[in-house]
Amino acid sequence: MLSQSQVNKLKSILGDKDVITSKIGMYAYGYDGTMLEGAHVAVVFPESTQEVVEVVNFCREQGIALVPRGAGTNVSGGTLPSEGSIVINFARMNKVLEIDLENYVAIVEPGVVNWDIQEILAKYGYYYPPDPASWKASTIGGNLGESSGGPKCFKYGVTRDFIYGLEVVLPNGKVIWVGGRDFSSEPMYDLTRIIVGSEGTLGFITKAALRIQPVPQAKRTMLGIFNTPEDCSQAVADIVAAGIIPTTLEMMDNLIINTTEDYAHAGNPRDAGALIIIEVDGYAADLDAQVETIRKVCEKDNAKEFRIAKSAAEVDQIWLARRVAFGSVARVKPNYGINDITVPRSEFPKAIAGIEKVKKDFGATIGIVAHAGDGNLHPLILYDQRNKEEVDLLHKAEMVLCELALSLGGTVSGEHGIGILKKALMPKEFGEQTLNVFKKIKRAFDPQNKFNPGKIIDL
Amino acid sequence: MSDIVAKLKGIVGEEYVVTADMSQYLRGNEQPQAVVFPGSTEDVAGIVKAAYDAGIKVNVGGKVVDTKGLTGGIAIVMSRMNQIEEVDPENLTCWVQAGMNHQEFVEKILEKNLYFPPEPYAVSTSSIGGCFGIGDVDTKAFNYLPTRTYILAYESVLPTGEVYKIGTKCIKCVSGYDLIHFITGTRATLGILTRVLVKLLPKPQAYRAVVADMPSLGAAAQAFKAIQKRKIFPTRLNALCKALGNEIMETKGVLVLVDLEGFPASTAQNALEVEAELRIAGATFSKIVEDKAEYDELWAKWLKVREKINLQENKVKFTVGPAKVPNAIASLAGIVGNLEENPGVLVEGLNGKLTVFTENAENDAVAINKLAMSLGGNVCGLLGNKLKSKAYNEDHNEIINVLNSIRSQFDPKGIMAPGIKF
Repeated sequence: MLSQSQVNKLKSILGDKDVITSKIGMYAYGYDGTMLEGAHVAVVFPESTQEVVEVVNFCREQGIALVPRGAGTNVSGGTLPSEGSIVINFARMNKVLEIDLENYVAIVEPGVVNWDIQEILAKYGYYYPPDPASWKASTIGGNLGESSGGPKCFKYGVTRDFIYGLEVVLPNGKVIWVGGRDFSSEPMYDLTRIIVGSEGTLGFITKAALRIQPVPQAKRTMLGIFNTPEDCSQAVADIVAAGIIPTTLEMMDNLIINTTEDYAHAGNPRDAGALIIIEVDGYAADLDAQVETIRKVCEKDNAKEFRIAKSAAEVDQIWLARRVAFGSVARVKPNYGINDITVPRSEFPKAIAGIEKVKKDFGATIGIVAHAGDGNLHPLILYDQRNKEEVDLLHKAEMVLCELALSLGGTVSGEHGIGILKKALMPKEFGEQTLNVFKKIKRAFDPQNKFNPGKIIDL
Repeated sequence: MSDIVAKLKGIVGEEYVVTADMSQYLRGNEQPQAVVFPGSTEDVAGIVKAAYDAGIKVNVGGKVVDTKGLTGGIAIVMSRMNQIEEVDPENLTCWVQAGMNHQEFVEKILEKNLYFPPEPYAVSTSSIGGCFGIGDVDTKAFNYLPTRTYILAYESVLPTGEVYKIGTKCIKCVSGYDLIHFITGTRATLGILTRVLVKLLPKPQAYRAVVADMPSLGAAAQAFKAIQKRKIFPTRLNALCKALGNEIMETKGVLVLVDLEGFPASTAQNALEVEAELRIAGATFSKIVEDKAEYDELWAKWLKVREKINLQENKVKFTVGPAKVPNAIASLAGIVGNLEENPGVLVEGLNGKLTVFTENAENDAVAINKLAMSLGGNVCGLLGNKLKSKAYNEDHNEIINVLNSIRSQFDPKGIMAPGIKF
């Protein structure tokens, strides 16, 4: 608990309304998508870089840890407050500072919601490719902290690939600009890349220069429906082998097809083993040929149905099931654990088989949504939070799924980050020397371990 | 024979340690005490550990090693570690040893219908290790993204001699700190890459080049803007001053080189539109290159010119953003003189980047940075950062502190890449 003089000091920096210390007021900032809870002593809402600096300097003097937070959509516990920490919430630093279309740059504050920048850019025929599922709520700062992915990553890359530069407040309270308004302005070491994805453990981002792009000339949306997940994964591999990198290759298994049918009547056959939504974009002149190639691949791989959207309404209809996929499982169980294990694309069928085995071994209900082109799977383990046995089973099954990914040459996290939830798995994914190198990086930035301590690694 | 040379011979074998007639392996005026040719990661680890224990400086190169600060040190030439270890077409990846020649790698991969987009920094000597060590943002980077995008995993020897590995065949991985991409561009200051897992792409299905003789750099820059307004984003969109351009083909003025890779229909159509824009902007000659052999020859010549530009010490590289290139060209002459007569001007239209040769690079960089900043850009790299910080009257020392703090965590004795100072 903070002393009154500490609270007064914070209020003198930020103003009374931007400092919360009451238990009830702090509650909403103490948990994230993991449903775990932290134990913080205050929540502060800076509105400028200068205020961030002053909060950082004060907390450093007082020996208080700081935990950054955007919209709290994190699903790895990266934003869970550590014991006795202050949550520094960036939601009020939400200005779009500049949009320079001709030079393909937007400068934003970290509290800008991903969807909001997309809406602004769409008016001009531009967009920012990283599109995590949480994009209607999650902030750019949070996306940067996790180096978030999304359906378009297969073709366009993840968040780190679209960041030109950052303004960062370091744990010593100094402000640096790393990178610039292009990819050639790093001060030798690519500090932007090490800060992106560091979950706020190395510095707090207060401005970001995003790479924006014109919307492609044209896009086609297709749906392939298969009897088995194996056929579906083979089609994914064969599309890539045919020289096409689709924008999106989103897969759903039978359980998810059925929960989405129950929920939204998307019009997909309930007996299908799996489906993939395929999108290609680019120059209009090329897309008919690509669609034809993909159609032939899907037919060769035993697709029971192949649809090509002919109108915006049909595009929406194809996407309907995917958009409601996560919410739809609530009809089966009230809660779900979401994982983001990722495997090399060639191991995708084995990953699916492995998940089937986990279902049987644990008697668990698991539905699969996957960014199949990336080998990034979201096995949704359905459970009831009120039932301790089911919660225990969830945690055990999630660990087995992570071990499955590692056994297939994959990673425990493709897009959600490590936070605290997967920290225990780090020694399984990395050798001792690599973990030591991670510690070198952390010590170089934050030797006192006061920026989001206990996340990713322990010093 | 010094103790360290004896140790090196014990590690790699006598025939792979050279202590006389070393000049063919070195670039620069300083003299190391030995050039050593490791054949494996274990060899590299042994060499580095021996050097670290003895406090001897080390630098590394693919075929040649920069000797700045290396007097009495060890030059490690990686050319024996030149094998492709595994090509995985299904996952579009390849494990390759760091000493493999970059251009040879590109060509071998193309034979398998796969594509590695980054351009060699210096086509005659660059290795894959050097490619990621330098971490260039090359003239294809607008479409294909910078070099760092193409590293998925690596094995590296730390300055203290330990070996670590990181990364997977997955194109998405956010587990731990992103050392995979951070290591790109660190120029061996944090260790020596020995093996790299690179990301590949399917080979483009069609190729076209458009060449044009333009009356001026300004005219070329106007055409570049017009091409982008058509929403055409070529693989390369470069303009070269007459002196550099004539090393590729004879022109009266500025040579514009446009590369179009992709699918057949759009490539053919875009070539026509690009040529039309160049004509509108005043091209006195233009041609669409359809013949693949002619296309390959053109870009092979370009890579030679690129090597010359990259190895030129007296130059300034700066960015202004693609739309500001005409403004930059209009103002640059006031700093470096008539651009049409300059021995080396390169304009990268899509990256919004310019390179200019100058006899007084240090002084000109200050003026050029001021110009670039007025247009929203800056001189590239550490120098640009320093100039930018000075102009803003900010504390540039903090950036240097961060860089040095990272470097000293990795290399407490400061033995690696001694020529690189922050």
